[in-house]
Amino acid sequence: MPRKTYQRRLEALREAVLEMSALVCDRYELAIEAAIDGDETLGRRVVDGDDDVNERYLRIEDECVALHALQQPVASDLRLVTASFKIITDLERVGDLATNLAAYGSDDGLHPAMEFRGLAESAGDMLADAMAAYETGDVDACYHIAARDEDLDERCRRASQAVLRHLVETDRARDHSSEALAEGLDAVSNGLLAVRDVERVGDHAVNVAARTLYMIENDDELLY
Amino acid sequence: MSNAREDTDERTDRERTDRDTRNSLIKTEVQTDATVNEGPAPTAVAAHNLNVYYGDEQAINDVSMEIPEKRVTALIGPSGCGKSTFLRCINRMNDMIDVCRVEGDVTFGGKNVYDDDVDPVALRRKIGMVFQKPNPFPKSIRDNVAYGLEIQGYSGDIDARVEEALKGAALWEEVNDQLDSSGLDLSGGQQQRLCIARAIAPDPEVILMDEPTSALDPVAASKIEDLIDDLAEEYTVIIVTHNMQQAARISDRTAVFLTGGQLVEYDNTTKIFEDPEHDRVEDYITGKFG
Repeated sequence: MPRKTYQRRLEALREAVLEMSALVCDRYELAIEAAIDGDETLGRRVVDGDDDVNERYLRIEDECVALHALQQPVASDLRLVTASFKIITDLERVGDLATNLAAYGSDDGLHPAMEFRGLAESAGDMLADAMAAYETGDVDACYHIAARDEDLDERCRRASQAVLRHLVETDRARDHSSEALAEGLDAVSNGLLAVRDVERVGDHAVNVAARTLYMIENDDELLY
Repeated sequence: MSNAREDTDERTDRERTDRDTRNSLIKTEVQTDATVNEGPAPTAVAAHNLNVYYGDEQAINDVSMEIPEKRVTALIGPSGCGKSTFLRCINRMNDMIDVCRVEGDVTFGGKNVYDDDVDPVALRRKIGMVFQKPNPFPKSIRDNVAYGLEIQGYSGDIDARVEEALKGAALWEEVNDQLDSSGLDLSGGQQQRLCIARAIAPDPEVILMDEPTSALDPVAASKIEDLIDDLAEEYTVIIVTHNMQQAARISDRTAVFLTGGQLVEYDNTTKIFEDPEHDRVEDYITGKFG
C-alpha cells in the first residue's frame, strides 16, 4: 500500500483519540465516586489528572494540524482527521466537567434524592458508546446515542427538581441560623451544578456521535 | 437546557457564490446535471460512448460525460489511465498520431468534432491548448501572441488583441515594456502564461490544459492557478493534472479516470474529495492505490 507512513499516522491518530477517551472516561468515573462519597482525596486525583488530559488534547491537536499541512488528507481520511479534531475538544471538555464533579464532593457528597449515580453513569455510558462507535464505525449506534440524550435530559430535569424539593423540605424542618442556611445552599448549589454537568456530558457524547456519523458516512444530520 | 453542541464550529461553507453572477450570464443550450452548487450550467463539450485505441491497445473505454460551460473541469488519474488521451480527443490532437483510432462522439456546440466536415485547424482555434512544458515560439512576445491571429488572417487591431490576451493571461504588467523581446527570455512561469495568452488570443471557447504547472515552481504554479480561476469567467477550462490538491483547489468538477481508460467517477469536486461514491476512487485519491 502506498503512503505507508501516512497510513500509520492516521491509525496512530485514531488510537490516540481512543486512548484519550479511555482516560477521560476513567477520570469521569472516579469523579462520580468522589462526588457521591464526598471523597476529597479521590477528587484531588481527578483534578490533578486533568493536566494529563489537556496534554493529550494538545498533542493530538498538533498531529491533526500536521496531517492537514503535510499530508493533505481527502475523502474518508479527511473526515477521520476532521472528526477526530472535533471529538478531542468534546473529550477535553468532559475532562473539565469531571474535575467540576470531583470538586462538588468536597463536603458530604451529593444528596441521595438525586439518584446521581444512575444519572451520571448513563451519561458516561453514552460517551463510552459514542467512542465505541468511533472505533468500530457503527452508524446505528450514533443515532441511538442521540436518541438517548432526550431521556437523559428529562432525567436531569427531574433530578434538578428533586434537589429543589429537598431544599424546600429541609427549609421547613431546619432551624434558620445563617450557618445552617449556608450549608443547605451549598448542598443545593452543588446538586444543581452536578446535574447540569452530567447533562453536558450527555451533550458531548452526542457531539462525538454526530462527528462519528460524519466521519463514517459524510452525513451531518446529527450535528445540530 | 443548555446545549454544548452550540459551541461547535459552523459547517463548512461549500458554496462558491462568487460565480453566481457569471452563471447568470450564461445562455442556456443544453441543461445538464453539471451543477456546482449554484445551479446547472449548459454543456460545452460532451463525449458519448467514446473509445480510443492506439493500435490494438484501448486507451479510452466507453467514456460518456458532459463538461459544463465556463467551469473548470479537472481530469485526474494514474499515469496511463487515458486522461490526456481524452483531453486530446476534444480538439482532435490525436489526429496527428497515425495509430490512433477514435470511436464514438465528442460534441462541441452540439456538433461532433469527428464529423468529416469539421476542419481540425478551425476547431483548435475554438478549443485552444496549453501543454505541460511551456513551449513559446522562438519569436518576440508580441509575435508569440499574434501568431494565431495572423494565421487566421485576422484583420483587426492585432496589437490591441495582443494586449488584451496578455492582460487575460495576467502577464501584461510584467512584459508591456518588452514586447519585442524573445519569449524564450521569460521565466518558466511567464513562458507558460505567454502560452496561455497565445491560446486565448484567437478567442477560443474552450482551453485544454495538460498538466500546465508540473514544470513550474510553486509560486509560478500558484499564479497559473489564480489565472485558471479568472479564465473560467470567460472560457471553459479542462485541465489534466497529477496534482490532486491542485484539482481540489481549482476545479468545479472532477473526473477520475482509472486503469483501462475507464471514467470511474465524475462529480462536483467537493463530492469527489470529501465522499467519493466508488471505493476505487477513494483508494486512488487517498493514496492507497495508483
